[in-house]
Amino acid sequence: MKNISSDDVHKEVHRFWAILSGNLTDKLEEMYSPTAIVFTGKAKRSESGKLMAVRRSRQIPGPAHSSRAEVGSIDVQIVGPDVAIAAYTYSFNTQKILANGSKVQINTLLGRATQIFQRGEDGALRIVHEHLSAAAPPAMEKAGE
Amino acid sequence: MSNISSDDVRAEVKKFWDFLSRKLKSQFAEMYLSSATVFAADARRMEPARLMLVRRERELLGPASSVAAKLGPIDVQPLGADLAIASYPFHLSITRTRASGKRYQSEVPSGRVTQVFRRDEKGVLRIIHEHMSSAEPVSTKELPPTDPLKHV
Repeated sequence: MKNISSDDVHKEVHRFWAILSGNLTDKLEEMYSPTAIVFTGKAKRSESGKLMAVRRSRQIPGPAHSSRAEVGSIDVQIVGPDVAIAAYTYSFNTQKILANGSKVQINTLLGRATQIFQRGEDGALRIVHEHLSAAAPPAMEKAGE
Repeated sequence: MSNISSDDVRAEVKKFWDFLSRKLKSQFAEMYLSSATVFAADARRMEPARLMLVRRERELLGPASSVAAKLGPIDVQPLGADLAIASYPFHLSITRTRASGKRYQSEVPSGRVTQVFRRDEKGVLRIIHEHMSSAEPVSTKELPPTDPLKHV
């Protein structure tokens, strides 16, 4: 099987953000290994990547609500024939519907990401571990209709 | 060489915090591979571990600084014979001395860390990537200047 390359990892990182932004209809949960573990947002504990992806998929905006992600320079460390670590900064601007039905705009300006990819037996790269955090709390404001 | 076990990784994690809290500078620095990269908890960007080590040594490993950590359960994900990921929550209390000489007490109540360990050519597990963050805002307060007479 082909060794993992930096280009492979760059493509997967950009695919991840295209899905999250609603610009690509691929299934987010298929980007994660069944055993993936993730730290996201404000969660105090890690959780299953698959479960988090299902939850996050429900929040992906429809075509009427654009989200925008900007990914900084992606540092890729190839740490084995089938494993690579991607580390980068990002900003993400999206809308969320709260429990009371109101919409808020959430701007994560100083996001930081570590995603560890492993090539599976089917040749696909999948995230086995993810740690997303922010150097400053995301800014929230009421979204327009 | 045998595969990395979860127990091996948990032992390294405990060594990491033991070296940091006991201010064992060289042992702490040796936990990182020379090519290691780090997202420190309060940093906007990733940096080489060697730079982070210089800062941690100045701020956290001096005589007027201290580090106390309580670790939560450590998840270990083995990735082949030479690689494993450790991830766990932690509670951290630190007293930090800035370059200005001012001292600050910080509480990180909901810290989270990912550490990727790789076996080096001697078979020693060392960190190749680290990402620390806090799920809640870190509270920091300035401490009054220390009385020099107390250190005589």
